[in-house]
Amino acid sequence: MVLGLAVATVVLLAAAHAFALEVQITTVRAAEHGPSDAQLIDLRPRLRRLVGYRSFQIVGEERRRCVWQTSEAFTIPGGRLLHVMPRAMRDQAVVMRVKLMDGSRALVDTDVRLQNRGVMLFGVDQDSHAAQGALIIMLRAED
Amino acid sequence: MSVARVMTCGEVEALLDAFVDAELPAAMLLAVARHAGACTACDAVVRELTTLREVVERSVAAEAEALDLSRVWPAVSQGIERHDVRVEWRRRLRTVPAWGVALAVAASAVLWVRSPGPEPQRVAARPRPNQTVIERIDSSGHFELRRERKNGTTLIMVSADGDPAGQ
Repeated sequence: MVLGLAVATVVLLAAAHAFALEVQITTVRAAEHGPSDAQLIDLRPRLRRLVGYRSFQIVGEERRRCVWQTSEAFTIPGGRLLHVMPRAMRDQAVVMRVKLMDGSRALVDTDVRLQNRGVMLFGVDQDSHAAQGALIIMLRAED
Repeated sequence: MSVARVMTCGEVEALLDAFVDAELPAAMLLAVARHAGACTACDAVVRELTTLREVVERSVAAEAEALDLSRVWPAVSQGIERHDVRVEWRRRLRTVPAWGVALAVAASAVLWVRSPGPEPQRVAARPRPNQTVIERIDSSGHFELRRERKNGTTLIMVSADGDPAGQ
């Protein structure tokens, strides 16, 4: 009886794992001066064009399987939270709701359709503290 | 046949139809008329034929007048006009110099060679690796969308200390 329940639980967990979206959140600190992480060398020109800074360093990375229609919260260095809720696959693109929270304040609340295995970026600019640069959140989703 | 002598009834008989229709040469017409003037039998035949001819003429004229040609003439007129146009074009073409004809043929050949073949089947644009479609976006502060063209990478840039009321 107990063994049966355990097997069923394992099977259910495996199924839930299989029917989930892998989400990778990489947080990068962008600054005007300083070195860049070797891991970001390939991405640096693209980040440079998009964000405008010269130095990029990874400050956090997390990879998690997100169950469809379920919101997952990723903690971003600095105390913010990124909520990701995968909703569906449509034409080889992941439809998801992403919400970046700064305390109770939603910096961004968006519905996006991101190409499967694609990357999109969220940037938090520190206008009044230019010396601190910006925080770049790279979101990669793979079905 | 000599017309100087008086013709016999047999000779005149063979010529009477042509005589009535005035299709004989003048000398022969005169000879036949001279014979008929002296020959009662031939004169009677001439009169009969003349009467018959007049009756036929009147009958044909009456039938011709009864014919409705109102639809015929416009068609004939159009045919004449088309013919005139063709004649006019032929006349103009004859006046075109040979080098003009050669130039027109060369231009047609170039257009034919350069004209595209059947429209190639359009292939749907392949999505870029990071292509992102923003279906909805809300923000408590300022935000800015930036997009990199090559890979379609999209950046949503927000200002952490932006005005919570504005966008």
